[in-house]
Amino acid sequence: MLKLLERISIQESPRFLHRITDGICGQSFPRFQDYSTIFTIAEFLELVNVITAFLKTAVGKKINDEELQQSLSGLDSSHQQAICHCLQSRREEIRHSLIEKTNAISTSQLQDFDWQLKLALSSDKISALQAPLVNLDLDIKENGAITPLSIEMNKEELQNLINSLEAANKVVLQLK
Amino acid sequence: MRRYKAVEGGSSHPLQVGEEVQSVKQFSSELIVEAVVRCLRVIEPSLANGLSHILPPGMSARFRLGMSLAQACQDVGYKGEIGYQTFLYSNEPEIRALLMFLVEKLPRESSESSDQPAGKSVLLQRSIAFKIKSQLAVPWIPPSCRVPFLCKHQNSDLAHGFHAQHLSIPQTTVLSGKKIPKEVKEYCEKHLLPVTAQPSQHAFLCASLLERNLADISAVQEWESEWNSQGLASRLSIDEYKSRKRQRLQKRLHDQLRHAVQQNQENQHTARSSSDLADLLKSFGAGPCGHEILVKGTRFTHTEKFTFTQESEKMVQQMQAAADSLPSSKQSEKEVQARQEEEVTGLQQQIEDIAVKIEEVSLDIKKLTVSVMQVSDEIHQKELENEEKSGSVQVKSKTVELLPDAENNLGKLQVLVDNSAKRIVNLASQWEKHRAPLIKEHRQLKELCGNKELESSRKVSEIKGLHEKIRQSADEAKKKEELYKQLVTEYENLPKDVSRSAYTQRILEIVGNIKKQKEEITKILSDTKDLQKEINNLTGKLDRTFAVTDELDAKRDESVRKAYKYLAALHEVNALDSENIQTPLLNLEKILNDYKAIRQENSVLAAKIRDA
Repeated sequence: MLKLLERISIQESPRFLHRITDGICGQSFPRFQDYSTIFTIAEFLELVNVITAFLKTAVGKKINDEELQQSLSGLDSSHQQAICHCLQSRREEIRHSLIEKTNAISTSQLQDFDWQLKLALSSDKISALQAPLVNLDLDIKENGAITPLSIEMNKEELQNLINSLEAANKVVLQLK
Repeated sequence: MRRYKAVEGGSSHPLQVGEEVQSVKQFSSELIVEAVVRCLRVIEPSLANGLSHILPPGMSARFRLGMSLAQACQDVGYKGEIGYQTFLYSNEPEIRALLMFLVEKLPRESSESSDQPAGKSVLLQRSIAFKIKSQLAVPWIPPSCRVPFLCKHQNSDLAHGFHAQHLSIPQTTVLSGKKIPKEVKEYCEKHLLPVTAQPSQHAFLCASLLERNLADISAVQEWESEWNSQGLASRLSIDEYKSRKRQRLQKRLHDQLRHAVQQNQENQHTARSSSDLADLLKSFGAGPCGHEILVKGTRFTHTEKFTFTQESEKMVQQMQAAADSLPSSKQSEKEVQARQEEEVTGLQQQIEDIAVKIEEVSLDIKKLTVSVMQVSDEIHQKELENEEKSGSVQVKSKTVELLPDAENNLGKLQVLVDNSAKRIVNLASQWEKHRAPLIKEHRQLKELCGNKELESSRKVSEIKGLHEKIRQSADEAKKKEELYKQLVTEYENLPKDVSRSAYTQRILEIVGNIKKQKEEITKILSDTKDLQKEINNLTGKLDRTFAVTDELDAKRDESVRKAYKYLAALHEVNALDSENIQTPLLNLEKILNDYKAIRQENSVLAAKIRDA
């Protein structure tokens, strides 16, 4: 399947490979529109998947140069070199993203959080309330799908949350 | 008048003073009670809690209210004469004095708060109020017509959530000063997108940058705090400490995983658990990349792979054999199918048999390996015993050889023993000679070591103290800076047009006023002195006149006697009046009326009691 890479010219292939690496690291993968003259959609997806898997395996298993050459033996040398260069320049980044993925082993995981501090100036009963409220938005990744979760808390509730999180952090520190 | 009003305005309902009331003199009892109660509520809420500011209709209730009000005023600290009559049968000077006192007592929050530097929260609330006011003043404008200034407040851009994405920033190699590899350089030059183009949506850029920055900073901070607390104490170099920690963590992880796998293995031997385990192990690898993944083999996966591949190979072979043995398709398809099914069931049977056998065999193998271990242990023990026994046998055989010439040999042995004893003593003395200096040296070195340890621990504690100090000073500096900023903003908010000269002028004016007042006071004082003198003169005159009249013979003339009587009565009344002069006649009438009212109330109550 790696053979498909040879259809991209040697000048263009490093860019293609780096965009795939970007995708592994959490940015966007290359778009099919840019390569629609070269591949069919199925081929394109296949190629992206194969290269992704290859890069991940190469970094994750710490494959050395010789083994790398061996596994790439089907390709012509200039494309082989392009892949090797891409790997060497982005090795740390890919490794980092793989570690992140391993860290995310639990079923649901916090992906992002955002907060807004609000000051409730008055309510329907009290004209001058001046109560601070915090609005916490959690993006939770569960089985690969991100579900947003929004909580509004007053001061005491926020303190409760912080206390329980600190307790959790203590447990994690003890594990170290 | 206006001053009272302004003060009362602080409570929830301002004191209503009618237009027709021009001075304190015209205050009605209701007004006085209301004013006093409201003042008391502000001064001391606990005291005024039970007091109503509306005069009740019943006379006795009014009386009680007056009493408790007087008590409350005394509690607050009013020194003058006060009783229920002050409120119900008022006269101007008393009321004026009381109200002046109460107004003096009113807390002056408003004036004080403007003097002190306003707190942060007050500033914030003020600025919030200002912002909201200004934004409310701006009309809403349809999106297409908005000028850039309006976009800031009225666009919904602000509603974007905070979503961070990974950014590719080649920082580590640049910062550490190492030589940049060729490939990295090429990547940075040719293929690395500018950071603004990296996020998939432009709105994520800011969030991603912030997140990245924060992650880097917190990583550095965490490391620093850990190094300061644990790293320094362990007295290792940074690299050593890191590698040790890594080893520890890896060992821990390893233990945990092994434990979990073993538990799984022991608990359920079903296919489901093994497939779960395989999933788990796969997810430890490089993620969802299908067949490309090279699962790192644990013992369990190896055994699993081994048995399953063997079986499948066997199955393939058997199928092959079955296919070969098939006659060259002259029979009808049904027969073929039936035969195939038969064979399949047969083969499945065989497979099951084989699986059972394999299990049995593996059990046997386990047993056998255990027994082999036991046996090898036994062998080892036996060998040891053997060596001991052979040694004793040698000694015994030698003694047996020496037995015939016992005496001679005994003498020889004695000599040998003596010699060796001497040698031992000799060696011991020699050893002593060597030992003493060595021990000395050892002690010295030990002491040195202890000293060094002490010094190093002292230094460590010093370093810790320094760190603490650094943090404290940083905190302090931050606080001071904040205060400075706050003061600067306050200073900027202050009106700029008030100059120093205006203030000095005002101060001079006030001083002038005070001088004038002083002069007036002295004038009044001299007046009072004059009056006092005059009064003294008059009283003297009066006394003399009385003395003269006393000397007159009163009984001589009827008219004289009458005049004397009147004079005496006048004198008495005068003395009485000097005490009661403050209560005007009008009050007397009022008191009489109230007395009647109370009597009426009492009679009504008595009637009620009788009826009941």
